[in-house]
Amino acid sequence: MNIIEVEGLSRRFGQFTAVDNVSFQVEQGAVFGLLGPNGAGKTTTIRCLLTLIRPSSGSARIAGIDVVKKPEQVRQITGYVPQDVSIDGDLSGYENLLLYAKLFHVPRAERRRRIDEVLEFLQLTDRANDIVRAYSGGMMRRLEIGQVLVNRPKVLFLDEPSIGLDPAAKRMVWDYVVRMRDEFGATILLTTHDMYEADELCDRVAIMNGGKIVVSGSPEELKETLGGDVVSITTSVAGCGEVLQGLGYHLLGSSENGMCDVVVSEADSTIPRILEGLRNRGINVTSISLKRATLDDVFLKYAGKRIEDGEPAWRGMRAARRAFRRRSK
Amino acid sequence: MSASNSLGNVVTIAEFELRKVRHDVSQLFIRAIQPALWLIVFGEVFTRVRVLPDASYSYLQFLTPGVLAQSVIFIAIFFGLALVWERDLGLVHKLLSTPAPRYSIVLGKTLSAGVRSVLQAVVIFVLALAIGVPLNVNPLAVTGVFLVIVLSGMCFSGLSIFLASLLKTRERMTGIGQAIVMPLFFASSAIYPVDLMPAWLQYVARINPLSYVVDAMRALLVTGQFGNLPVDVGALVLATTLVIVLATWTFRRIIE
Repeated sequence: MNIIEVEGLSRRFGQFTAVDNVSFQVEQGAVFGLLGPNGAGKTTTIRCLLTLIRPSSGSARIAGIDVVKKPEQVRQITGYVPQDVSIDGDLSGYENLLLYAKLFHVPRAERRRRIDEVLEFLQLTDRANDIVRAYSGGMMRRLEIGQVLVNRPKVLFLDEPSIGLDPAAKRMVWDYVVRMRDEFGATILLTTHDMYEADELCDRVAIMNGGKIVVSGSPEELKETLGGDVVSITTSVAGCGEVLQGLGYHLLGSSENGMCDVVVSEADSTIPRILEGLRNRGINVTSISLKRATLDDVFLKYAGKRIEDGEPAWRGMRAARRAFRRRSK
Repeated sequence: MSASNSLGNVVTIAEFELRKVRHDVSQLFIRAIQPALWLIVFGEVFTRVRVLPDASYSYLQFLTPGVLAQSVIFIAIFFGLALVWERDLGLVHKLLSTPAPRYSIVLGKTLSAGVRSVLQAVVIFVLALAIGVPLNVNPLAVTGVFLVIVLSGMCFSGLSIFLASLLKTRERMTGIGQAIVMPLFFASSAIYPVDLMPAWLQYVARINPLSYVVDAMRALLVTGQFGNLPVDVGALVLATTLVIVLATWTFRRIIE
C-alpha cells in the first residue's frame, strides 16, 4: 500500500520553479530518500507534503488524505524534523517533549508514558531535566526527533537528518531511523545530499536535480543501471575522456585536469586494455583505481555533474548555528 | 478540531513560554532596571518642576501608571524579535507542522507576553510602594490594573508579531521597534498630561492605545475617577483584537 502519493506536484516562487512536476509513491513502512544537491527542491517538496506551503499545481495525499483539502488531518498523522534547530534551548528536554505531546493532543493519561518511552528510546533519560542549550549537537538532534515521536506519526519527514553531526552521532541517527521504522512502524521520508546516507538507509531513492526527479528506484537498481563498476583514471594531460570514448568505453564524466571515470563490466580484463589504449596515444596514466558504483555516480550519469560539485560552505552552517546557540545564552 | 483542543493549544503555548521565564527569573529584575530609573531619577526630578499645578496628587503618583505601562510596551514591542530568531532556527516551521491552528499559536504567544508583563509589572509596583508612592491597593483596583496590563501586553506583542511576519529579519525588527517605541511613549499620557501637548500631538495621543492603557491604570491606582474606564478598556480590547486578527492573518508569511 502506498502511504504517500504525489502526482505532478509543482511549486513556483515568482519566476522560479523550485519543484517541477514531481510524482512519486512511498510504500507503507519504507525508508524513502530524496537525494540531490542543495537547491534541488527537496525541502520545498516535503514542505508541500507537510502543508506548510501550498503547491502551485498537482496533488499529494498522505494515507489517502489530500494535503490541500485537509491540512489539519495531515498534520495530525505526520511529524517534521526540519534541517535547522527545532527545539527550544531555554526549556528542559522533558519540557520540549511535553510541549509537543500537548500540541499533538496526546491523551493526558498517556503523555507521561509516551515521553518516558521516547526518552528511553533516544537514551536521553538521564539528561531529561537539563536545559537543552547544554546538550551536545547529537543529543539535540535526537531530542528533535523525539519531539515528533511522542505523537507516533504514521509518516515521519526528516530534512537532512545527519547534517552537521560528527561521524559517531551520524551513525547513531542512522540507527534510530531504521529502529523508528521497525519499532514505531513509521514510514520515513528523508532528504539528503549525502549519497552514502541514502545508500545506507533508504529502501528507495528518488534523485532530484533542478526541481525534477531525474531517476528513482532502489539504490541497488540505480547502481545497476550504470552497468558495472567505475574506473577512475588520472593522467598528466587533459583529454583522456574523449580518447576513451573514442575507443568505445562508457564515459561517466571527465574533468579539465586530466581525470575521468568510465564504467566497465569486466574490470579484471578491461583495465589492462584501457592502460594500453591510452599509452598507444601517448597519454601517460599517473594513477588508476577501481571502485564499486555509488549513487553519486548514478547522479553524475543522470544530472551530468557530481552532487558535491560547486557546493558552497553551507554544510558547516548547521553545526555552527548549534554551537552559536549554545554559546549565546 | 474541537474548540477545547484549540483552547488547549493556546494555553499550552502560553504555558511553555512562561516556563522559560521560570528557568531564568533574573530577566524580570534586569528588565525592571530601566523603568526603575524612570521612576526614581526622572520622577524625583520632575516632581520639583510642578507640571501638575492644580492636581490633588503628586507627580510621582501621576507617573507610576505611566512607568508600569512603559515596562510593558518596551518589552512587548520587541517580542517579535524572539519569533524571528525562532524562525531563523527551525522552531516556527516545526510548530506550524503540528495540528495547532495559526490563531492558537498567535493567541498563545501574545497571552504569554501578557502574563509575562504582569510578572514584570509586579516588580515595578512593589518598587513604587517601597519608595513611598501612595497608590490605591484595593484588591479590586489592583486586579483591574493587572487585567489592563495583560491586555496591553497582548496588544503590543501582537503588533510585534504582525511586524515580524512582514519584516522577517532581526535587524529590521530592532530598527522598527526602536523607531515606534519612543513616539508611542512620548505621544501618550504616560509622563505628562495630554493637555500640555500642542494640538497636533493631542490628536496623536488620542489614537495611541498606550494613552488608554495609562488612563485606565491612573484611574484605578491614583485618581479614583472611573468615568472614562469603559472607554479606555473598550479601546484597548478593540486594538488588541485588531492586531491579533492582523497577526494571525500574516503569521504564516514568516516562514516564506
